[in-house]
Amino acid sequence: MRIIVCVKQVPDTTEVEIDPKTGTIIREGVPSMLNPFDEFALNEAIRIRGTGQIEIVALTMGPPQAEEALFKCLAIGADRAVLLSDRAFAGSDTWATSLALSRAIEAVGDYCAVFCGHQATDGDTAQVGPEIARQLGIPQMTYVEKVEELDGKSVTCLKETDEGYVRLKAKLPALVACISPSSFVPIIPKMGQILKAKKKTIEKWGADKVAKPGDKFGLDGSPTQVVKTYPPPKKKGGGVKISDPPDAAVRKLVEYLRKEGLVR
Amino acid sequence: MDFNISDEVKLMQESVRDWFKRNLPLDKMREIDQKGHPMPKEVIEGLAGLGVIMGVIPEERGGQGLNWFKQAAIAEEIGYGDPTAACAAAFMAVMTGWGFTLDRYASEGIRRDFIRPAIAGKKFIGIATTEPGGGSDVAGFKSKAEKSGKNWILNGEKTFISGVEECKLWGGGYWVNVRTGPAPAGAAHKNMTSFFVPIDAPGVEMTECYRDAGRMAISTAGFTMTNVKVPDDYRLGEEGKGFYYTMEGFDNARILIGASSVGITQRVIDEAIPYIKERKTFGIPLAKNEGIQFELSDIYKEMEASRLMYQKTAWMQDIRYDEEGWLERKGKAKTFQPTDIAKWIAMLKWKAPALALHAAERAMLWLGAAGYTDEYPFQMAWRGVMSYVVGAEGGQNIQKIVIGRELLGNEFVPYK
Repeated sequence: MRIIVCVKQVPDTTEVEIDPKTGTIIREGVPSMLNPFDEFALNEAIRIRGTGQIEIVALTMGPPQAEEALFKCLAIGADRAVLLSDRAFAGSDTWATSLALSRAIEAVGDYCAVFCGHQATDGDTAQVGPEIARQLGIPQMTYVEKVEELDGKSVTCLKETDEGYVRLKAKLPALVACISPSSFVPIIPKMGQILKAKKKTIEKWGADKVAKPGDKFGLDGSPTQVVKTYPPPKKKGGGVKISDPPDAAVRKLVEYLRKEGLVR
Repeated sequence: MDFNISDEVKLMQESVRDWFKRNLPLDKMREIDQKGHPMPKEVIEGLAGLGVIMGVIPEERGGQGLNWFKQAAIAEEIGYGDPTAACAAAFMAVMTGWGFTLDRYASEGIRRDFIRPAIAGKKFIGIATTEPGGGSDVAGFKSKAEKSGKNWILNGEKTFISGVEECKLWGGGYWVNVRTGPAPAGAAHKNMTSFFVPIDAPGVEMTECYRDAGRMAISTAGFTMTNVKVPDDYRLGEEGKGFYYTMEGFDNARILIGASSVGITQRVIDEAIPYIKERKTFGIPLAKNEGIQFELSDIYKEMEASRLMYQKTAWMQDIRYDEEGWLERKGKAKTFQPTDIAKWIAMLKWKAPALALHAAERAMLWLGAAGYTDEYPFQMAWRGVMSYVVGAEGGQNIQKIVIGRELLGNEFVPYK
């Protein structure tokens, strides 16, 4: 039995720069990291697995350098890692991406659950997880803050909503899309785990390995196309910056809020 | 030649950085620096749990089997995480640099009873060479050992020793150098033998802790040895060869201190840049002043040179140990002689701590009054790394002599 965790390598920055000519994210010179929501999903998979005989497979679709993110997954505790990388996937929108990932999940096989982050911090679409569930025809649980139980038949999760929490139970196999709660304390890989991860091989799969007849990936398989991407215009002026020691800063802030009529 | 840092090394550094962010953020480090030694036990246990203390010891002996390149990259992050240099001093230079070397020459009993527990963060092991009468000048060493049946009786005093208080509290012991024969004229390094002395051995008395200027979290003290009996099994390597083992220990400790100093410099730069970009005087940010900007550029340039220097020395040391054997010295260094490597290590030990000291001092001046307070880590870093400029792990002028010896020949060594 396997849990397949879908992960993505994203730029390690809060301010994504867009190339005005191509409309794509500038990745050159920007350090990368494992998408934090995916990291939580992987940590949950490791925690819920406990000492059970469940294999955890980290899966990503991306350029060759995405191996770095998979290497970290192996060090954190994934048993296997698969990199889906092929020029045929270039230009994929969320639907084509979810198709490629679903095909790879089927090729890995024997899975009881698919875990993923609910969104990636670069694209912020939050669509790929639910679309994978649709492609695979399995139930999905989104906004999951905690995976409470995973037995041979079902998975029980705590889902965050605007009103509070909802406990959901789904038959396996199911997809679990995780948020990343503020209380999340990620596993820090130890030196020994990193050395062990280095001894493992990251499996590299192309489109040929996963495609079924009629499948379309990349731009051809994408019903949507990004016409233009641009960062929101930077706000000019406005706001008051208070840079005093904490006590004085709080006094000034309260004074300001009262003056503006925002608090009484 | 490939200057890329592997994913493996990057992730090791990321792990250490994350560990410090979570467990020893600047606020906590400041608190420990102000409170002073002993080092909290959870620090050594946490870092040991991460696998960074003596990670370079082969797996068969309880280490992680890292190479020196990786261990040095980790040491850089330890310096970054704790810019006071206390963690670098205690866990990299002393426990790892010296611990690795100790493991090569120690008996199975010492490994089982002291080194393995120290790798696990349960005990402290350190180095005690300096005496009231001599440090770099080994001719001044008075401590001695005499054979008594199957045992040795040690007498003498060691001073300016790192971690004695922690060693007393946590258990452990020291690599101690003593004379087992007279010092021949002009060859004072001969007839020195190394022993391992448990801190709780009868006859070992700790002396009062010094009140250091910096790296406050780790103690500096000394101990006297009065008729301390240790079994022959506690002798390290061959009788009379202690000086050579000690030089190897210094080499390893200096690599890690050089790398840690690069981390301290990087931390100073990273802490200073946001302030000098934001703070305005006379209508322009501090960073727009060439007087500050050029100094920053210069420090950055020197830091990158120091980083390449520690990477090269660690790489040379890896080749050396591959050829000699990592567990015991069974082969001979071929590609680089230990003295070739010592030259690079001396350059690193001379340059990197001095640069970190300079960077911390300049950062205090760039920030003005704010930089002088403990709101920023510059003064903690300045006080701490000064220890390695003053002379811990070998004085600056000793490094110059080592380099001069390699360039000019043994006959030009000014003192013997």
